[in-house]
Amino acid sequence: MFKNEEMEINLGPQHPSTHGVLRVKLRLDGETITHCKPVIGYLHRGVEKICENQTFFQGQVWTDRMDYCSAVANNLGWAEANEKLFGITVPRRAQYIRTLLNEFNRLASHLIWLATHALDIGAMTVFLYAFREREDILDMNEAFCGSRLTTTAFRIGGLREDLPPGFEKMARKFLAKFPTCLEEYENLLSENRIWKKRTVGVAMLSAEDAIALGVTGPVLRAAGVPYDIRKAFPYAAYAEMDFEVPTQTAADTYARYLVRMAEMRQSARIIQQCLDGMPEGPVMAKIPKILKPEVNEVYHATEAPKGEIGYYLVGEKGSTNPYRFHVRAPGFINLQSLPKMAEGGLIADIVAAIGTLDIVLGEIDR
Amino acid sequence: MTEPIIPPAPEVPEAPAGPYVYDYAASPQRQVVMPKTVPLPSYRTYLAEVKAAAEADEAKWKKMQADYETAKAKAEADGKDAPKPPVRPVPRKDDNDLKTPWPQEAKDADLLLLQELLGAKVQEIFEQAGELTCQLEKGALHEALLLCRDHEDLHYEMLADQSATHYPAASDFAYSVVYHLTSISRRKRLRLRILVPEGFVPESACSVYPSANWMEREIFDMLGIAFANHPDMTRILCPDDWEGHALRKDYPVVGWGQRDISFREDRGGMIERIALQKAGQLGINLKQPKAD
Repeated sequence: MFKNEEMEINLGPQHPSTHGVLRVKLRLDGETITHCKPVIGYLHRGVEKICENQTFFQGQVWTDRMDYCSAVANNLGWAEANEKLFGITVPRRAQYIRTLLNEFNRLASHLIWLATHALDIGAMTVFLYAFREREDILDMNEAFCGSRLTTTAFRIGGLREDLPPGFEKMARKFLAKFPTCLEEYENLLSENRIWKKRTVGVAMLSAEDAIALGVTGPVLRAAGVPYDIRKAFPYAAYAEMDFEVPTQTAADTYARYLVRMAEMRQSARIIQQCLDGMPEGPVMAKIPKILKPEVNEVYHATEAPKGEIGYYLVGEKGSTNPYRFHVRAPGFINLQSLPKMAEGGLIADIVAAIGTLDIVLGEIDR
Repeated sequence: MTEPIIPPAPEVPEAPAGPYVYDYAASPQRQVVMPKTVPLPSYRTYLAEVKAAAEADEAKWKKMQADYETAKAKAEADGKDAPKPPVRPVPRKDDNDLKTPWPQEAKDADLLLLQELLGAKVQEIFEQAGELTCQLEKGALHEALLLCRDHEDLHYEMLADQSATHYPAASDFAYSVVYHLTSISRRKRLRLRILVPEGFVPESACSVYPSANWMEREIFDMLGIAFANHPDMTRILCPDDWEGHALRKDYPVVGWGQRDISFREDRGGMIERIALQKAGQLGINLKQPKAD
């Protein structure tokens, strides 16, 4: 007996392709998705509330644990938002080291995206290659701050420590081999017939929709909008760096793949410039041990690997804690566009749509 | 085998039965310290504070001079040496890299244009730490958002972030709702702010900026501000049957059983006592080890 009616199924919350505990309610007509609703909150820990009850210095460790794939980028945003709140000027050498580590982190985050996205779609080999290179970056994280994933790399006002001896050698060694690694991935994927069939024209999101839905990062740039906060509102040492903002116009999953691959090349370029032009000097500004702000509110946005991460802080006069702390998580806003991408497509393609958004549920649920 | 010495147990409040029942007053550790000030940045308040501080400083200096005059007259009458004349105290200068960003007068063209277009609906405009803030009347928000998006000289295409703050110490409002707009083409950011009292239902921004959908749901979930004409005004991060709104200032930080035992100050042997109690419930005798 064949019935002609829509079927409702749940994708997740426990599913390997949802990158965490994301549940997507789907309504299907045959294999076509007619309705899609993401359900989130399974990883909610109340980071904002916790940070409001801790001092400005203590809050930083929580930013690592939001998006654990790009902990350094989250640390940078937090440190800079606080510096804006207190009016701290960071030494130039610290700015360079921050830029350097942030770009390494972008590489690590994009590599983990490439690995898992390809794995979701069915390309197993890339996973192993990408994790091999990511391991080197995590080793550098470990050399710098003793921690691989949850780094707490920066401090408000600069850095806790200067670069360790031998770090530059490690970084240059990595940079020397990284372009060939990128070529390896591209040889495996770019002209691969199956990869192209699974990605070209899949999960489209036009520039108008992306801007209306607040989508940022590589997803927006793949729709042809050259919006990169590193260029638009320069922070750290990005104003002194020479790099391009790669864009594509196709606005599909394949275009986002191309944008991210091009971004990795630009990141390597920025790292090279940081290493070559590293200034001498102190790495920590002179600030008191206990920071107490005046009445002030700041919204500071930086370009995390996933998109715009913004920190909204309200300072209370004479208090050691932030009065209000809010995170504009890039994944949270980007995930809003999932119904737009997935509806009308096939059920097999929603896995590609989730992968191409590059979400981390720890950051979305906070 | 001697029995282990068990110190007398301090009183531990019993947890309520249901998982989502909160009784704030039940546990001493769950007492909430409410904020006493209203840290709402404002150029007007800042000017008033600076003026009051200068007046207080001047009054203090006048009093010091008057005291000196009387002391001098008294010394002259007694035939003693005249006292030292007072020195006006200079504000202490800290040797550090901190330069507090104070609110400044609005000079940016966008803010002035908004004030010109909206007139009395704009309550305040100022700049602080390089950020533009425009405080609006709570009813005029929708109009302002439309203007910001569509006016050819403003052109703020994206609503980057929306958030709210609870101010329980304020008398005429309870929450501030802030909208962070981004102009991609003009590389500018703008903050719109409205102050809403408890129970007020502001207009949703979804019809102007669809990205407000989840952000407004999050505000509803965390602070309990419902938005009118929102397509799906439900909780987003907490479960649907959750009680209370976590980011209000009167919501406690600790849950049941978390802070009731302080591991650092376990002087009364509370952990051991609770372990014994639990073991007793499970029918295990921890007090007397089994004989070989």
